[in-house]
Amino acid sequence: MDDRRDLWRMGWAAFCLGLPFLFVLAPIGTFILYSFWHNESGALVREFTLENYRAFFADPVFRSIYLQTVALCLGATIVNLVAGYGIALFASRRPPRLRFALILMFMLPLFTSYIIKVYAVRGILGHRGVLNELLIASGLISEPITAFIFSQSAIFLTFIVLYLPFAILPIYLSIERIPENLGTASADLGGSQMDEIRHIILPLSLPGVVVAALFNFVMTFGDFVTPTMVGGTEGFTFGRIVFSQFGVALNWPLGAALAVILLATSVLAVGVAGLAMRWSTAR
Amino acid sequence: MNQRSDVLTLEAVGKSFGTTTVLRDISLSVASNEFLTILGPSGSGKTTILRLIAGFEAPTTGRIMLDGADISQMPINRRPFNTVFQDYALFPHLSVRRNVGYGLMVRGVPKAEIGPRVEAVLAIVGLQDYALRLPRELSGGQRQRVALARAIICEPRVILLDEPLAALDVALRAQMCKFLKDIQRRLDIAFVFITHDQQEAIAMSDRIVVMRDGRIEQIGGPEELYGFPASRFVAGFFGENNLIDGVVRAIDGARCEVETPIGPLWGVTCGPAAAVGAEVHLSIRPEALVPGATEGHRFLVRDAQFAGPTTLIEAQGVEAPEVTLRLRLPSGGTRALPSVGDVVAIGWSEADARVIAAEGSNG
Repeated sequence: MDDRRDLWRMGWAAFCLGLPFLFVLAPIGTFILYSFWHNESGALVREFTLENYRAFFADPVFRSIYLQTVALCLGATIVNLVAGYGIALFASRRPPRLRFALILMFMLPLFTSYIIKVYAVRGILGHRGVLNELLIASGLISEPITAFIFSQSAIFLTFIVLYLPFAILPIYLSIERIPENLGTASADLGGSQMDEIRHIILPLSLPGVVVAALFNFVMTFGDFVTPTMVGGTEGFTFGRIVFSQFGVALNWPLGAALAVILLATSVLAVGVAGLAMRWSTAR
Repeated sequence: MNQRSDVLTLEAVGKSFGTTTVLRDISLSVASNEFLTILGPSGSGKTTILRLIAGFEAPTTGRIMLDGADISQMPINRRPFNTVFQDYALFPHLSVRRNVGYGLMVRGVPKAEIGPRVEAVLAIVGLQDYALRLPRELSGGQRQRVALARAIICEPRVILLDEPLAALDVALRAQMCKFLKDIQRRLDIAFVFITHDQQEAIAMSDRIVVMRDGRIEQIGGPEELYGFPASRFVAGFFGENNLIDGVVRAIDGARCEVETPIGPLWGVTCGPAAAVGAEVHLSIRPEALVPGATEGHRFLVRDAQFAGPTTLIEAQGVEAPEVTLRLRLPSGGTRALPSVGDVVAIGWSEADARVIAAEGSNG
């Protein structure tokens, strides 16, 4: 009886640990291995080399696109955190029914396909898009503004639209978990609404903010579809470079090295976010 | 309370949520240095009174007055009252000293001043060594003290306590009772204490407000409520009273004669005056009954329970078996205690018999 149970338990553990190993760690290990090999006239040479990493750090174009992408994604993350916090806080203070409706409304984009959302943004920002048509109709401009689409700012706007739900949801959930009577206690002790938000709600919802920031930064930093579709030739991002090495240049080892750098950046972001959690308590 | 000055007054306050009325016609006043307990079973509206005073809810009817000024619509954070919540509602991410200093911080008191004042208040509640702990690193009793310190530091006119002892175990509760009463005397401010436990109420209060179904049943000092309950409900709330049903036969001033199954008995009227023919209860404290009296009614001892310093005896009427009396006698008394099976004559002094209107009559 006990033996059978132990067998089950071991099987379950093997499944829980084995699945991530097979589908997460093994692929990552493979491309880390690739990043230390190199291509010679289209053929893969399985010899250890740091050539690919040297190529990244020596090339000013790679470096500047990397930094530009970090800035772009940080910017989009910050905008989404601020907007997401505002929306989550607003929703959490409504009566229960309205609260649910509001959150559902903001989560609705998650139920639609990624591609449809990107095309919808293109439809708004495009040369003959809704935004330009509106501005022309209102008489503010006479010619359509082309900078809306196929630029860094187009990627920025699309990132905000696409990833806002990933900011709202974790923040909302963490605000929702804060006991109501803490707010009552703050007011009872003489605190204003602002005091409550600043000293109680904000620090106690920090875990949600950190998760939201991670979702936004990691997902935007790795995204190459959005930049390809709305970025044009102006909107080159690090994700696109990684993709081009695999899909266009067929230089897998260099692509793998760049992907390792992308992964390292995300891991660094997680580390920074972990440190931020310390601010939530004050002794 | 020789010179009574009221800090807080409720005037005919009522509260309804939708079509449900939870409080009706509540009128009471709190003296500036009084320990007032609002006592009642759950659902009697006692917590709602506290929430109205604190400003968490607005009254549907009536007024709440502070020093004679109407504060019914004053926002929570402007009222000079502080609350000790039932579950303490300590801020989980702030240390003890930051929790305690919160009220001063949001009022804009300079940091240099907050530190020493927090120290002083922590010393009052005996937590000076715990200033840097987080609430989760404290025991229940310590959290309770932090909640109290957090209220005290704001120097409120009234401290409102919402069943703060309910979450503590019995031994700690008795200790906290003494502690709370002691603090209240030292600070010389008003405490409004909500509880459903009559022992806590008796131990601490200057006055007790007994609540029932959203109304005030009786207001009075602990001795008064214990000795002169105005209704069967109050009599029942304060321990194990003997109640003998009967009908009023004659009235003589504050005394009246009641026809009971064990014959006509005289008693002192409590509460609203009874009329001849009214259904009443005769209420007698278990400790007021004397066995072996020369003049008394014959009872058969059914049960005897030793309870340390006293022994509780249950006796059934020989002539009127529907009447059961409970006696509380000193265990180590000079006279031997009656044993089970004995028939004894039980008597009492007429002044110890109270006449209480029966439920449903006399309103």
